[in-house]
Amino acid sequence: MTDDSLLRIRDLRISFGDFEALHGIDLDIPKGLLVGLIGPNGCGKSTMMKCISKLHKTWTGEISIDGDSTRDMRPIDIAKMVANVPAEPPQMFGTTLMDLVMLGRYPFVNKVWWESPEDEKAVREALQVFGLDHYRRKQVSLLSSGEKQRALIAKAYVQQPKLMLVDEPTSHLDMKYKLEVMEYLQNMARSDMTVMVAEHDISLMARYCDICIIMKKGSIVTVGDPKKVITEDLIREIYEVDARVGLDLDGEIYVLPKRYIRG
Amino acid sequence: MKGIIGTLRRGYAGLNDAMVPQDDNRSEIAIKRKRFRVILLLGIFFSAVMFLISISISSGGIIPLSDALTSLISAVSKGGNGLNTEELYIFQSRLPRTVAAIGVGAGLAIAGCMFQALIRNPLVDPYITGVSSGAGCMAIAVVVMGISLSALSDYSNYIIPLAAIIGGLLAFGITLSVAEGAGGSATNYILAGTIVGFAFTSIQTIFLSLEKDNLTNVMWWLYGSFANITWENAFLVLIPALAISIIAMFWAREFNLFMTGEDQANQLGLNVRRFKAVMMVVASVLTSICVAFVGVIGFVGLVIPHACRMLLGGDHRLIMPASIVLGACLMLFADLVARVVIAPLEIPVGAVTALIGTPVFAYMLIRRGRDYDG
Repeated sequence: MTDDSLLRIRDLRISFGDFEALHGIDLDIPKGLLVGLIGPNGCGKSTMMKCISKLHKTWTGEISIDGDSTRDMRPIDIAKMVANVPAEPPQMFGTTLMDLVMLGRYPFVNKVWWESPEDEKAVREALQVFGLDHYRRKQVSLLSSGEKQRALIAKAYVQQPKLMLVDEPTSHLDMKYKLEVMEYLQNMARSDMTVMVAEHDISLMARYCDICIIMKKGSIVTVGDPKKVITEDLIREIYEVDARVGLDLDGEIYVLPKRYIRG
Repeated sequence: MKGIIGTLRRGYAGLNDAMVPQDDNRSEIAIKRKRFRVILLLGIFFSAVMFLISISISSGGIIPLSDALTSLISAVSKGGNGLNTEELYIFQSRLPRTVAAIGVGAGLAIAGCMFQALIRNPLVDPYITGVSSGAGCMAIAVVVMGISLSALSDYSNYIIPLAAIIGGLLAFGITLSVAEGAGGSATNYILAGTIVGFAFTSIQTIFLSLEKDNLTNVMWWLYGSFANITWENAFLVLIPALAISIIAMFWAREFNLFMTGEDQANQLGLNVRRFKAVMMVVASVLTSICVAFVGVIGFVGLVIPHACRMLLGGDHRLIMPASIVLGACLMLFADLVARVVIAPLEIPVGAVTALIGTPVFAYMLIRRGRDYDG
C-alpha cells in the first residue's frame, strides 16, 4: 500500500446464492482523486461500492479506509468516513431540503433530539457551496432533478467523509446539470476528499476523472488515466460495441458508440 | 374577522417551513425548538378544552364547563367516595371513557406515524401487520367458544381484552416471521401483514357464522366503542399507550433518517434491521393495547400522521408530538359525537372518526396535496 492510499481492497469477493458477483477485486485508490467506475450493467460497480460502505456485509477479503479495516467497524464509524450518494432521490413526505441535508450530520450528533449550532452552520455552508441555500425551506419533492441530485451530494458532503461513493449521479439530468454535478464532484476531490463515481457516460467520466476503473463481469479489467485506458479496443471488449474514441478540439476524449456487435 | 384570519395565517406560517420566507435568516433549529414548544402548549390547551367538553356533554344533557370542572375536582378530591349524583356520573361514567379516548387516540395516531415511516408507504395504518385481524379473531373466538371459566369470573372484564392482545401479538409474530423470512423489506412486511390479516379475518368470519345469535358482547368491539370502559381498564389503556407514545418520540430523528430509505439510513450509521424490528414490535404492542379494550377504530392511525405532515412538514420531532395531541383530540371529539348524536343509543366511534376526518382530510389534500409527495 502506498502512503497516500485512501482505499485499499484485497481479494474482495461476494456471492448471492450460487452467483459470485465480485471475483477477487484488488484495488488501491490514492487520496484526493475523482475516480470513475465504468462498466456495463451488472458488472459489479454498485455491488463493490455497497461492499465498501458495508451495505453488503457478506463479502470476504479485506477493505481498509485510510489504513483502518472496515471488517469490524460499526455502521456509525463507517458513516464518519464513507458517504454514499444514491442514484435515485428518496420519496420523502413533506421533508424540506434543509431537513434532508441535515440528516448528513446524523453520525456526528450526540444530542438526543436537536442538532447543534455547529451542525447547522456546516449544513448552511454546504447549501451555499452547492447553490441551494435559497431553497432550503422548499420541500424536496418540489425540487428539480438537478437540485435533488445536488441536495443528495450536499447531504453526503456534510458527513465530511474521506471517501464519497456516488452511484450514477447524472442518469436523470440534462447536459447542463450533468456538467454542473461533475464539476461539484471534481471540486470536492480537489479539496482532498476522494470521490468514486459509477457512471455510464464514458465521455463525461473521461473528461472529469483523474483515474478510471474499468470493470467487466465482477472483475477489474484495467485501472489508469482515462486518456490512456479508454480505447476503441477496450470499449469493444467490455461493452461488445464498436465505438469511435477520439480527442476533440480541446484535447478531451469523446466516445461515440457506433453499433453493437451481434453475439 | 380579517384580523383573526390574518393572525391564524401568521400563526400557521410559523409552524410550517414552506410558509416561512426564504430570506428569513433565523436559525432553523431555533425555529423548530420554538415550534415544538408551541405544539406542546397548544396541544395541552386543546386537549384540556376537549377533555372538559367531553365530560360536560352526554346523552343526559349538558352541564356548564365550570360546573363540570368543579364536580370533577370535587369527585377526584373525594377519591370517588360519597359523591353526589352529578359527581358520580362524571366520575364513574364519563371520566373513564374520556381518559381511555385520550390514550387510544394518541396511541393509534403515533403507531400509524411509526408504521408509515418504517414502511415508507402513505397507505399504511397501525393495522398493517395484521394486529386488528388477530385481535378480532381471538376476541370473537373467546365469545363464541364460551370461554368464561368460573375461576376467572372476577376477571371477566379482562378476558376479551386479554384474548385480543394475545391475538394481535400472535398475528404480528406470524407477520414478522414471514416478512423477515422473505428478506425483511418494507414490501415484505406489507404483503405478509396483508395475508396474515386475511387469514385471521377468515377464521373470524367462520366463528361469526357459527354462532351469530350470541354476538352482542362482541359487536361493539368489532366497530370500536368506549361504552364498556371502566376505571380499571381506562388506566390499563392510558398509561401504557401514553408511555409508549412518548418513549417512541425519543427516536424521532431515527424515523427522519428512515424516510431516506433503508440503504441511506444504514449508510448514515443506523442499525436499520434492529431499529425496524424493535419499532415494529413497539408499534404493534401499542396498537394491540388500544384495540384490546375499545375494538378496531380506523382512520385515526392512517390520517392523523398525514394531517400533521401536511401542517408541519416532514420532521418527526414535530410530527410525533403533534400526532399524539391531534389523535387524542379527534378521539375525544369522536367519542362525544358517538354517544350524543342519537342518544340514548350510541353509534360506533370508528364510524364517527371516519365521517369527521374524511372531509377535513379531503380539504387539506386539495389545499396542500400538490406540495405533498405522498
